[in-house]
Amino acid sequence: MSTAVSTADPLAFETRAVSNRRRFLRQLLRKKLAMLAIAYLAIFYTCGIFAPLIAPHDPYQQNLTPGATRQGPSAEHWLGTDALGRDLASRVIYAARTTVVFTIVVLISGSLVLGLGLGLLAGYRGGWIDTLIMRVGEVLAGLPTLLLMLAITAAFRTRINDVAFWLQDNTFLGNDARTFVKFSIIVFATVPFAWIGTSRIVRSQALAIREETYVLAAEAMGASPWRIISRHILPGVLPLFVVGVSAGMAGTAGAEVTLSFLGLGIDPPTASFGSLIAAGAGPQTFERYPHLLLAPAIPVTLFFFAWNLLGDALVDLLEPRTQALR
Amino acid sequence: MAPGLAGYIVRRLLWAIPVLFAISVIVFYMLRLAPGDPVDSLLGQRYREEEAALIRKKYGYDQPIHIQYVKYIHNLLKGDLGVSTRHQSFTVTEIIIPKIWVSTRLGIIALAVSFFLGISAGIYAAIARGTFLDPLTISFWLAIDAVPIFVAVPFLQWLFAVRLDLIGLSWQGFTSPNIILPILVLALPGTAGIARFVRASVLGVLREDYVRTARAKGLPERIVIIRHVARNALLPLITIIGLSLPGVAGGSLIVEQLFGIPGIGAESFEAVLAPDFDVILALVLFGSVLFVLANILIDILYAVIDPRIRLGAQRG
Amino acid sequence: MSNRMLALMMGIVAFLILAVGVVFVIALAGGSDDASPASNGSENRPRSASGGICSGKSLIVPGSQPNTVLDPIQVVDVSTSEYVVEIFGGLVTLDPDLQVVGDVAESWQVSNGGRTYTFRLRDNVVFHTGNQRRVTAEDVKYSIERAADPANASPTVVAYLGNIVGLKDRFQGRAPSVSGVKVIDERTLQVDLIEPSDYFIFELTYPVSFIVDRQQIESDPRNWTRNPNGTGPFRLAEFKPAERIRLVKNPRYHLGAPKVDEVIFQLGGGSLLTQYQNDEIHLTPLPASLLDSILDRSNPLSKDYRSYPGLATFYFTLNPNKAPFDDPKVRQAFAMAIDRETIRTVLLFDYYDVAQGIVPGAMPGRSSSVKTYPYDPQRARQLLAESKYARNMPRIVLTYAGTGAAPGDLLVAIQENWQQVLGVTVELQAIDTAAFLREQRQGNFQIQSEGWSADYPDPENFLGKLFASDSPLNYTKYNNPEVDALLKQARVETNRERRYQLYGQAEQKIIDDASIIPTFWSVEHMLVKPCVKGLPDAPMTIPKFRYVEIKEP
Repeated sequence: MSTAVSTADPLAFETRAVSNRRRFLRQLLRKKLAMLAIAYLAIFYTCGIFAPLIAPHDPYQQNLTPGATRQGPSAEHWLGTDALGRDLASRVIYAARTTVVFTIVVLISGSLVLGLGLGLLAGYRGGWIDTLIMRVGEVLAGLPTLLLMLAITAAFRTRINDVAFWLQDNTFLGNDARTFVKFSIIVFATVPFAWIGTSRIVRSQALAIREETYVLAAEAMGASPWRIISRHILPGVLPLFVVGVSAGMAGTAGAEVTLSFLGLGIDPPTASFGSLIAAGAGPQTFERYPHLLLAPAIPVTLFFFAWNLLGDALVDLLEPRTQALR
Repeated sequence: MAPGLAGYIVRRLLWAIPVLFAISVIVFYMLRLAPGDPVDSLLGQRYREEEAALIRKKYGYDQPIHIQYVKYIHNLLKGDLGVSTRHQSFTVTEIIIPKIWVSTRLGIIALAVSFFLGISAGIYAAIARGTFLDPLTISFWLAIDAVPIFVAVPFLQWLFAVRLDLIGLSWQGFTSPNIILPILVLALPGTAGIARFVRASVLGVLREDYVRTARAKGLPERIVIIRHVARNALLPLITIIGLSLPGVAGGSLIVEQLFGIPGIGAESFEAVLAPDFDVILALVLFGSVLFVLANILIDILYAVIDPRIRLGAQRG
Repeated sequence: MSNRMLALMMGIVAFLILAVGVVFVIALAGGSDDASPASNGSENRPRSASGGICSGKSLIVPGSQPNTVLDPIQVVDVSTSEYVVEIFGGLVTLDPDLQVVGDVAESWQVSNGGRTYTFRLRDNVVFHTGNQRRVTAEDVKYSIERAADPANASPTVVAYLGNIVGLKDRFQGRAPSVSGVKVIDERTLQVDLIEPSDYFIFELTYPVSFIVDRQQIESDPRNWTRNPNGTGPFRLAEFKPAERIRLVKNPRYHLGAPKVDEVIFQLGGGSLLTQYQNDEIHLTPLPASLLDSILDRSNPLSKDYRSYPGLATFYFTLNPNKAPFDDPKVRQAFAMAIDRETIRTVLLFDYYDVAQGIVPGAMPGRSSSVKTYPYDPQRARQLLAESKYARNMPRIVLTYAGTGAAPGDLLVAIQENWQQVLGVTVELQAIDTAAFLREQRQGNFQIQSEGWSADYPDPENFLGKLFASDSPLNYTKYNNPEVDALLKQARVETNRERRYQLYGQAEQKIIDDASIIPTFWSVEHMLVKPCVKGLPDAPMTIPKFRYVEIKEP
């Protein structure tokens, strides 16, 4: 989102072992603004997940009768209607669904599998595996991200329809399969560049914990690597991982919104904040139909804001210098 | 400077060579193996195999990929980045250099504005710690940062060009007031990060003994802040400048698209959609070189600011 | 802690008030002064009335980045030909009424049963630069020879000049020159055709045969297009990619020198309509989404509005080799399920016309008897029920070239038509242009959405070029022996009226087949400053800026 520095650069804070998870949680609970952000995000994610139950209208139901299109807000349509007479409130709620599915997919594939997994592997095993993972990361980090994301989406979006249809017919995903697969493309374009920061944090944290006496003792007593990782290293790494992920979340969700805005994201008529905003963007359109831009722009801005605040709060908790002053 | 510095720079530069090599291979193969090539979009619906074959031959796309790659690298080493398929009479160098220059100037101005706002807000927030003004300042900038650029742009264009009718939207270069809006849009989002960084840094310095001493001597608070605090707190900001440099020269796709600025961001977007192989490759390599150089620069700056940091030590 | 909390809450509230409040405060404040939505149109500002862009002699228009080099033989798209037709000239050209008139040629005669064209050249045509060299028949021959040279890989020469004797042989490298183009004397050129053709003269208005300067090209083969030397009404003075193209007038232009000194094409910049309102450009095309607000009588911009029918048709190509469109009943059902009239009025605000055929309504020679399938949901459902896919409708994917642009509401509306009326599921898929064209060529699609705009004003450009099974431009692989027979008959028919009739018959057959579903005809919508006089309402790319005069109203 930003040109100069990302607001919540995961590398901006010092990594250090957080010994007491309870203390961490308690401190987080005490930060009221963070709680507010969490509350908004909870609402947002609930709306997204239960969109079919919450949306007042069918988001795809067009109404092409004169006067029914591009209406301003009314009791019938809280946020008005778009150029095809579709209920904008419902489309915004379904756009939230798009964002929710996307962030969850990225969370699982990018942050959890690649970021946490590779970071732990590199930090725990060390040696050539560590070198390899970190060097690959360095190469990937050196690529101009947005440019390559564009190239990847442009190149591969044609090839995936069959996969989508197969999933639609053969799995529980049903009609969401297409959306899901479309995401995988965007995910495929985002993830190679999204895991590096996380895995660096995880790695150095794992490196530090690995040298602690109790870990060395456990190792000497013949504990299996799996046990050492799950019992000793993972708990120590997790808080930092959560911080890293939440700090980067606004950027991740922003990638999908940006691609959709450029027409390279999710196909119509599926709603996405990017395509909704694109339909209302343009100074003249805004002059005449402000609701077309404001209806999607305000919720998505608050969504980014909430992640920013949450990331900010979490960084504060782990940043020793400012923490001491509070 | 530290004696190991030169050796360190050489080591880092040598390491950059395989990195750039890997990047060029990945991107080259990815572009050539993707469905659709420049000839498709060049000919459009008028495509015929006969003409397409002639054009492919002209650009060398008819040869095996590895031969194309070797040729590309061979020409690259001679300083020839190839020819754009979209602007056929212009070489890649002729196209991207003026655009990089436009984006860089725009980016540097925006960065300066961003730093000015960020430093002011950061120092202000730190001094105002304990009052409601501190969190107000920071969360205000965080909120600004959360507004997506493509929401901010139509809104600001409407406000300043349509409603208030203060400035125009055509591209008139850097001397026209029309440049203000793009700079504003580029500068505002970065401010939050700088403000938070400065605030934390100033708070750290305020605890230092020499500040307490200065205060104890009875110096006015204003003098204390300017003479002792600001100078020491702002030094670490240099690293942020280093981190921002690749972004500055890379331009901003959305802002350049929406304002019709002939910069490198808009160029990359169009090159990817065409696709314009040689331009994309040149842009990717350019971006990577910048990234590598910026990283070296940051490491050096770290060392200069804080001699305790050993060069070559693992970062992160 | 509670104080901090309060402060933070205030921070958020302050922001929200700032972001949302400002919008309404300003909107309301503006609204109370003046009820019209665009109260600050050009009239309200003094700087537009005096001075500004209406006082000089340079015309400033929005332009598009040329897709190819400014070389007549490489032109394939409107974005390039827009400049090429102003810089270069050919034997003949089109006037604002789309009639063929002489350019370098003063007159021409058709003989040998329509197989031989003899051109008499003017004696006062000179190139822009280079000792004011006079254009001779040799120059014309050189330009055609150059276009046919396989080393130059012209993408269009076979399609537009393939009827010239020996041209295909030259292009395929089997002959050293084009035998059908003969220089009789300095001012006389003879062109022999393989078969009689009435529309050959129209094909000559397409840039591929335009006259280029041999001396310039031979002395600077690589970079001559940066400063091309032509015979057109304007000369290229400046070309900054993505910034601007500046054309200056050719004072010696043989058909009458331009009245403006220069035309500046702005390639960059933000919202065009805002630029127009701010007096930064003289004219702008309008997007469909803003048409209703512009046409609003209270909007001062409505006075600058003008529109005229264009020469482009939008249509769907249904692939008859892929299920379910191998059954003609399914294709017809799809054609009859589109409610174009409603879409046109409610969604598009009359931005397009409903297509009554493949050939645009404004095209000279279009048969008015041709009709497309009407909207008939009942009949459409019935046809689908009778088809062999009534019970087992496969999945249907519609592809369109859509990267880089916001998806069209138009397609979503038609998708809804099909789904509602026919109960089928149609998926929309945007793919990038290169992949779209490849898919099209390989016949690897179910439905594609696309359009064709006229290269020259003759029905042949749509019907013969796109649907004759042996046409190099038949990218849809349309193949119907009956249609082929009619098109072949029309191709060699030298009686124009009879030829138009034959095209009408072929067109109706193609439409009845329903593998092409024409949806809309384009309409040009523009805002033009009142001080711009004489700009022709040209629905095609023709040299038009020489007619323009900038005069205070």
